Amino acid sequence: MTTTREAAAEPSLHDRLTELADRLAAAGERPAPPCPDAVNAAMIRNWAQALGDPGDWSRVAPPAMIQVWSMPGLVPAAPEGGPGAADRARNPADEVLRLLNENGYTGVVATDCEQTYDRYVRVGERLRSAMRFGGLTGPKKTAMGEGYFVTWRQTWYAEDGARVAEMLFRVLKFRPRERRGGSGAGGPVRPATSLDTAFFWEGAKAGELRIQRCADCGRLRHPPGPMCPSCHSVERDHVVASGRGRVHSYVVHHHPPVPGRTAPFVVAVIDLEEGVRVVGNVLRCAPDEVEIGMPVRVKFERVDDDLTLPQWIPADAPEDEPSAEPEQPALLEIPLTPTFVIATALATRDFTPVHHDTALARAQGAKDIFLNILTTMGLVQRAALAAVPGAVLKGIAVRLGVPAYAGDTLRLYAERADAATLKVRGAVSLGDHVTATVTLREGA
Amino acid sequence: MNVSGKAAIVGIGATEFSKRSGRSELRLAAEACLAAIRDAGLEPSDVDGLVTYAADTSSEIAVQRELGIPGLRFFSRVDYGGGAACGTVAHAAMAVATGQADAVVCYRAFNERSGHRFGQAGRSVRADSIGLEFSWHLPYGFATPAAWVAMQARRYMHEYGATGEDFGRVAVAMRRHAATNPKAWFHGRPITLEDHQASRWIVEPLRLLDCCQESDGGVALVVTSAERAKDLPHPPAVVTAAAQGTGPDQMMMFGYYTGDLAALPAMRRVGAELWRRSGLGPGDIRTAILYDHFTPFVLIQLEELGFCGRGEAKDYVKDGGIELDGRLPVNPHGGQLGEAYIHGMNGVAEAVRQIRGTSANQLDGVDHVLVTAGTGVPTSGLILSAP
Repeated sequence: MTTTREAAAEPSLHDRLTELADRLAAAGERPAPPCPDAVNAAMIRNWAQALGDPGDWSRVAPPAMIQVWSMPGLVPAAPEGGPGAADRARNPADEVLRLLNENGYTGVVATDCEQTYDRYVRVGERLRSAMRFGGLTGPKKTAMGEGYFVTWRQTWYAEDGARVAEMLFRVLKFRPRERRGGSGAGGPVRPATSLDTAFFWEGAKAGELRIQRCADCGRLRHPPGPMCPSCHSVERDHVVASGRGRVHSYVVHHHPPVPGRTAPFVVAVIDLEEGVRVVGNVLRCAPDEVEIGMPVRVKFERVDDDLTLPQWIPADAPEDEPSAEPEQPALLEIPLTPTFVIATALATRDFTPVHHDTALARAQGAKDIFLNILTTMGLVQRAALAAVPGAVLKGIAVRLGVPAYAGDTLRLYAERADAATLKVRGAVSLGDHVTATVTLREGA
Repeated sequence: MNVSGKAAIVGIGATEFSKRSGRSELRLAAEACLAAIRDAGLEPSDVDGLVTYAADTSSEIAVQRELGIPGLRFFSRVDYGGGAACGTVAHAAMAVATGQADAVVCYRAFNERSGHRFGQAGRSVRADSIGLEFSWHLPYGFATPAAWVAMQARRYMHEYGATGEDFGRVAVAMRRHAATNPKAWFHGRPITLEDHQASRWIVEPLRLLDCCQESDGGVALVVTSAERAKDLPHPPAVVTAAAQGTGPDQMMMFGYYTGDLAALPAMRRVGAELWRRSGLGPGDIRTAILYDHFTPFVLIQLEELGFCGRGEAKDYVKDGGIELDGRLPVNPHGGQLGEAYIHGMNGVAEAVRQIRGTSANQLDGVDHVLVTAGTGVPTSGLILSAP
């Protein structure tokens, strides 16, 4: 049903975007900013040290470093080619990104980066790169907010004009959801606690479902409070619940998006054996399998060091999550110290402040400084070569997930899909930071 | 001392109801108040009391300044979201009945669609007692009013065999009423039960068409003594009874921890008080304005207020039972599902119009109208009567 009570006098944003996107796509390839330095041993060594890459890169550069050669650096060089060259050398998506910015789509997050390597570039080579607009899709409703996906492509050429590598890069430009303080990016809303409730959350962290008990009359009570409503005692202790209960009522949440959960998900009121009720999610069970009266038991969901949520799973669910990939030791475990985040950003010539300036990162809504994408690409390469020593990479395609913040640990896992394909996953405490497909050259 | 019969609503005023007012919430409040004062045949200088919701962003003194009211003798705020609606009139009636004020304006105005939307997920909690209540729920993504109501609705279905179609009949009735109310957002746009059943899930068991609108707008009411009301231009809507109420272990929409989820004990208390104070019963009510932010709570209210027995509301609403020609017409203006969501205040205004005989969907023989406020929270209610 339409509710057009205002006549649209001007072309809509969507129409303007579509028109612009068509024009940019038709313009084809144009020169990118110059590669300021030849492929050189110093930058490669710096990169390998920052990323902890143990490979021998004395003759060729690491393939995942390709974008580094065309990064402009902190002070971009004046473009060659006389007047107007600067305009021509801009990212072809700039106009689209600016138009989106001006219309409230101020958020940006990279979602995909796909590099294919025709060959490894050699130390001493001078590269040239070019870019073209790749496409625009949207508006789409996403977990970040409504947004448009903007894609561009960059190609690198050798001095003889032969292509050495190509990259697809996609960002989501989104209209940030209204934030009312508090919650960390992507994670659940933090509970407020008081002197009367802290014991519950401390208990959850310790793997105990604690129920307040009046130390005088023994009445159990949840949610807890400072005074027993029966005998008015202010003396309290707690019991540790058995963790067994039944679903008293439940809902399946579909809309709108909420922090920390992916719809559809189940919220239930649980009748505990002890006679009190608690609220939590029912996990490990399809929403349409939940029913009133269903027996459940507690399962503690660790969100991070500060928060553990008592959750519920079907009473007969196996103790450990049935998973296609049993918890395997990580191939690489990388503590994301501030030094690592900053050193790798600079070694990849990425001077965007969110990767080195904590205050600026927080001002933009991030929890802390976070890993840049060029580094993520390099770490995926490192994991691939750790899994298949001596392999020659044909391409790396990554899908980006949650940010990898300083202070977290990045755990990389690799799994051989077939002779020519490797799946790499990088996880942090918030979830998957990167899922990647690495293609290997035949015979590797 | 009983306020019954001592106060009356003598003026009503409202802005248009929209999705984007394009004006500040304070301006909406001032416009609605001025319209109500003029409707009462008064001037702002006659007003000496202001009452609003604790949730309103426009303070009484801000509204006083905009209206140029020289000074106030009475001001108060009623808490707990939409549960405040009838409570504002209760406070105003107490003030005029006890001589604390002569003319009190009750108001509620917001940009609830274009500004802060209540239907979006809560993203943080305050560190006060209410914030602690939310802290048991928001970390689980249990963060919207639709979800909080759905939890009780599911248990109600389980207890009494009510279905999604029973909820849908409430939506169909409200949209039918709105369809012939030119002030309603959904004027001219009725729905069928099939439309309801085809609408998408918001939080199962609630569908989109079980949820009220989100609206921008303001409504104001002028309350004065029944004595003074006789000299004013419109027939007064006499406050025959006004009540506020909470239930056992009352929380803000989280009444899950003790007792019956398929019930609304705070509304039961308000209903009992209204009947006791008025000496009336359900059979005396010509039309009821029942708070309809979500359809299931209209059913439970019919039961709590004694219009039917426990679990019987699903039969009560069948065959147009709450439509204009039914046994108890509910929300002739279309309610918050059909007219607008002004936190229940637009329902009080409709009750006044029914008593005056000026509603777009006017019923005949309106002596007594029952009005309720937000459900699932501490709430309030009114019985308004023809003089």
